[in-house]
Amino acid sequence: MLASGRAQYMSSTRQSGSSTVWSLVLFATLALFAATLYAIFIYAPVEQQMGIVQKIFYFHVPSAYAMYIGFGVSAVGSAGYLLKRDARWDAVGVAGAEVGTLFCLIVLLTGPLWARKAWGVWWTWDPRLTTTLLAGMIFAAYLALRSMGNAGEVEKRFAAGLALFGLVDLPLIHYSVQRWRGVHPTVITGKGGGLESEMYWALGLSFIAFTGLAILLIWARASIERQREETAQLRFELMHR
Amino acid sequence: MRALIAAIVLGCTILFTPVAIAQTQPDEPDAAAEASGEAAAVEDAAEERAAQFVGVRGPEAESVPGGALLLGAYAIVWLLLFLFLMRMRGLQRQTAEELERLSLEIRASGDR
Repeated sequence: MLASGRAQYMSSTRQSGSSTVWSLVLFATLALFAATLYAIFIYAPVEQQMGIVQKIFYFHVPSAYAMYIGFGVSAVGSAGYLLKRDARWDAVGVAGAEVGTLFCLIVLLTGPLWARKAWGVWWTWDPRLTTTLLAGMIFAAYLALRSMGNAGEVEKRFAAGLALFGLVDLPLIHYSVQRWRGVHPTVITGKGGGLESEMYWALGLSFIAFTGLAILLIWARASIERQREETAQLRFELMHR
Repeated sequence: MRALIAAIVLGCTILFTPVAIAQTQPDEPDAAAEASGEAAAVEDAAEERAAQFVGVRGPEAESVPGGALLLGAYAIVWLLLFLFLMRMRGLQRQTAEELERLSLEIRASGDR
């Protein structure tokens, strides 16, 4: 009885600490987004060649970075699940895949809007665009597999393998511009011409804000997935009692 | 029948080969110039045909509205984030309802 009470107390203390960290990250992210919007639209100058449409860049590039975080977390969760068969790792895998796909979708939709002005076309089969689309399709397949009713052990393991396969594509996206000389801009890489200092500030703030947002979304989604898993387990136990 | 087909193929080859050679390899410089002149005339005609569709009177460069594209891009970002949050809310509500239903079942089975 005493041990049970202590465990409950420990659990509630941990939950309260977790919710404090959650609130802190939430408020910090909201404040950062406000600062980012100010930096993008007021502080950073309009680009000389492309004009105002260049400001898509401040959300497009950090979204791609958040996509890497999501897919990377999904691969780590999937590897953990394959090694330990623990539902908590699986929840992390699902959360990472969903958040990664969300940001991948943002990248794939905002990119063409910029490209229409800069390149004169909505889409071109550039190595970076193609490999990003491929990553999106791999993780869309992961989510499709997981959404087919209540995923069993086999579906979970197969999806985990798919997430690890998707991880291989991430370095390809990143280095495709350097290896295969596509048309995608390289302004913030070593070979690029760089940015104005105000533009760097806006981009840096946006990177931090998107990191916070990705962490929050993965955290929340993983927590919901764990609750769903526990509910399904409870239902199963009740049915077989 | 075979002999007839062979005769037709042979006849066609004899008839059309010199014509094809004459078209692809002009043996005299004048003929080559004439051929390129004809090609240019055909191109001009094609350009003329294409030009008939163009009705632009102002600047020649295509004007893409940057502001609308920027607005569209930011709208997409916020809309997708909002939809994702709505989905999470839906999942949360579904789980809460399921838990409520299960706790009622447990209570009912305890009463029995």
